[in-house]
Amino acid sequence: MLPRKFKMYFKMYWVRIVIIFVIIGVCILAVWGLASLESFYRNITLATMPINLIMVALNATIFVFMYITFMQGGLAKVSKSTIKGQNVNVKWSDVIGMENVKEEAREVVQLIRDRARVKKIGGKILRGILMIGPPGCGKTYLAKAIATETGLPFLSMSGSEFVEIFVGVGASRVRRLFKKARELAYGYGGCIVFIDELDAIARKRVFSVFGGTEETNSTQNQLLAEMDGLQEAIGRSGEPLTEQNIIVIGATNAPEENLDKALLRPGRFDRKLYIDLPTLEDREKLFEYYLAKVQRDPSIDIGRLARKAVYKTPADIENIVKEAALIATRDKGDVIKHKDISEAMERVELGLKHKLHMSPLEKEKTACHEAGHLIVLYILHPTEDVFKASIIPRRGTLGVVHHQPREEVFTFDRQRLLADIKVGIAGYVAEKLKFGTTSSGVAMDFKQAMTIAHNMVWKYGMNDAGLLGDYTIIPESQLSDKVKETLNEETNKIFVKSLKEVEDLLNKEKPLLDRFVKELLEKEELDYDDIDAIFKEYGKFPMKSA
Amino acid sequence: MKSLFLLVASCWLLVTVLFGCGPSYPKEKFKESIVRLCKDEYKLDIKVETVGKTIAIYLPLPDLIDFTFAITKQASEKINDVILSVSRVALSTDAKFDFYCIIAHDIRIPEIQIVIIKSVDDVKRFLLNDISRGEYSKRMLIDIRLNPQSQKERAIKEVFEKMAIDKKWQERVMNDFFRAEPAVLGDIGYWNGRFYIKNISLAEFLAEQIVNRIRIEFREDKELLDAFLVKSTKGFYISKDSRHYFRFEVEAEPKSFNQLEASEATNRIFQTVLKVVYQVIHGYKFEDFDYIEIVNQTNGRTSKFLRDNLKNFKPKRTKIEDIMEFDTY
Repeated sequence: MLPRKFKMYFKMYWVRIVIIFVIIGVCILAVWGLASLESFYRNITLATMPINLIMVALNATIFVFMYITFMQGGLAKVSKSTIKGQNVNVKWSDVIGMENVKEEAREVVQLIRDRARVKKIGGKILRGILMIGPPGCGKTYLAKAIATETGLPFLSMSGSEFVEIFVGVGASRVRRLFKKARELAYGYGGCIVFIDELDAIARKRVFSVFGGTEETNSTQNQLLAEMDGLQEAIGRSGEPLTEQNIIVIGATNAPEENLDKALLRPGRFDRKLYIDLPTLEDREKLFEYYLAKVQRDPSIDIGRLARKAVYKTPADIENIVKEAALIATRDKGDVIKHKDISEAMERVELGLKHKLHMSPLEKEKTACHEAGHLIVLYILHPTEDVFKASIIPRRGTLGVVHHQPREEVFTFDRQRLLADIKVGIAGYVAEKLKFGTTSSGVAMDFKQAMTIAHNMVWKYGMNDAGLLGDYTIIPESQLSDKVKETLNEETNKIFVKSLKEVEDLLNKEKPLLDRFVKELLEKEELDYDDIDAIFKEYGKFPMKSA
Repeated sequence: MKSLFLLVASCWLLVTVLFGCGPSYPKEKFKESIVRLCKDEYKLDIKVETVGKTIAIYLPLPDLIDFTFAITKQASEKINDVILSVSRVALSTDAKFDFYCIIAHDIRIPEIQIVIIKSVDDVKRFLLNDISRGEYSKRMLIDIRLNPQSQKERAIKEVFEKMAIDKKWQERVMNDFFRAEPAVLGDIGYWNGRFYIKNISLAEFLAEQIVNRIRIEFREDKELLDAFLVKSTKGFYISKDSRHYFRFEVEAEPKSFNQLEASEATNRIFQTVLKVVYQVIHGYKFEDFDYIEIVNQTNGRTSKFLRDNLKNFKPKRTKIEDIMEFDTY
């Protein structure tokens, strides 16, 4: 292994080695030259040496500055950093949650380690792993953990680093990256190349006569060629060289179907790891992990926080804890309390509060609007819990009812869709009921509700007219007027029926509506506990999912 | 990588500094070094002698002058080779020398000699580009003349012959009374296997250099050349009664003379002399004198200029009346 490492170092750093030898040679020659001079001339040379060195340094600085300014260090320069696997130092235990993915990753690591065994039994060797999932879910972290566990050098680059305006630059960078990876693999027995944001170079290639996408295509072609080249490197004399143990790990948050098929075919990215948002259990672990790093109130209910943080990524949770620490510091607290985290979540979710002067009537209308949403949401929605109602303006809205799903839901049934419509139009109904008139504040609510109703009828077949199928994929010109009319009537029917139900409910719960309006006008914000207490006071309980 | 670079750099510096410490020509082997250098590199046989801080080199040449009494090209090259050799050794030794003089003889006519006197410091400054080539050549004293010692000995021998003194006694008297160290720079030379040299002082070197420069000035300045006929120029550095001063005697006759112009002409001569004196004194930062005395030998006028007044002298702007201490006839 040692001679191989020497050879590897020589291959990798031969330019540096030659430069060092030349410098040493020049130094020896200089000393020799000085020794052959008479003492007077030698003294002159030595005396002028410092100023000469300063001048050389100055010239070199100017040259380097000009070079960097005008040439940017060469267009094909790759700013890749090599890290030995052991130095990455991210262990499996550091990757919180995503147990299924970790299990698959462990298998991958085992395959990388047992490469020889896989080859012996004639199995296909793993060359690429593609991690797909939303941003902030720990794809990079998992790649680092794979590097640590395999102990192989880790070359990391972002897909965007390959993208340049000049055709061929990206391809040249890909070549340089893989050249370095091959050198490292030769010395260390393997190398992991991690390309983050792979979609920047792995989107479906477009073959345009205008050549506008030429650069992306050529970069991707080079990546495909390099990944194929990993299978069998050909020597100068044409004989196949030993297979290079290079594993390419790509990470993307783009949907799989947006990536070029050539990259996804077996032999390139053989394994696909789907990294999803953390589950309730994962979120609990994440809160435990991040809160352990800060001073926190031991009474914080982590389970409750995890329930509240549905659809939050690990990065979101880290951000929430960081934000909570800032809030606690601002409030001169010694430890992070539940309310700090709660406020941090709101800040992340809803945005910062801002002062907006509203007339008392407008404020009352807003309170009424939000109270309508609040009551319908609490009583009629099967999957969502309300966490906050507020009439403090945030992110361009005058008020908000913050709600979260009780648990992860991946499909939407009729009951939930209808509930969403009812919650959406509840603001309108409440305004009409209390003031006899409505405001423009309902526009966004109507848009959302109408979209849901339209999709229910046009796309999901949830209509009573028997028109099943997705009518949105048929061009409108090919749809008969009758079909369109029927579908629109069905949409309206859902909308009108929902409106009627909401009107009935709010009429029935008028005292509750008035109470919430009053409470909101007084306190401006109501938290889950306040809201729940008022509902319980009126003998109301949230609807449970069917 | 960084530590390797530092190691190489420090080793290199250490070696270079160590190499820079010792002189190339130690003072114990100083004379031999010059002789060997001339022999090895230029195939020239020379003799070297030192007096105080002055080095003298004797260079016999077969063809120093041609039939027009001009220095031949070959001789000139050989003299330059010797100058270069002496300069190299004088600059790279731990022996302290201020001046060196090269005495070249034509072996066919030993009475004729060329004496070149140089300051070691001037060579050093020239090599360090502290002075220009023109200034460097002006700072060198070159003199072609009949050997003074040979003249002296010939005259005395004639006397001995007239007196019919025995040959043995002639030689003894000559050694005892007429073969002493020269008193002035003009008497430096080599005669009959013996150096006639003295320890040259900076003051007398400057006095001689100023005289040379005054001659050059009167020869090269078109106006001065048209206005004056310079007959003689002499310069001395005199130390008397704890006073030190330079005395310059100029005999320059105006070419178109009338009474009205007489004082103006003298002023012009003095102005020229003073300019040269100022340049030289200033150039060497020489301060070991009290005043300058300038004598116009044509009319006997003598003027005195104090050292402190000379400091404010501006060759083109200062009028000599303003800095003159006194004027006598």
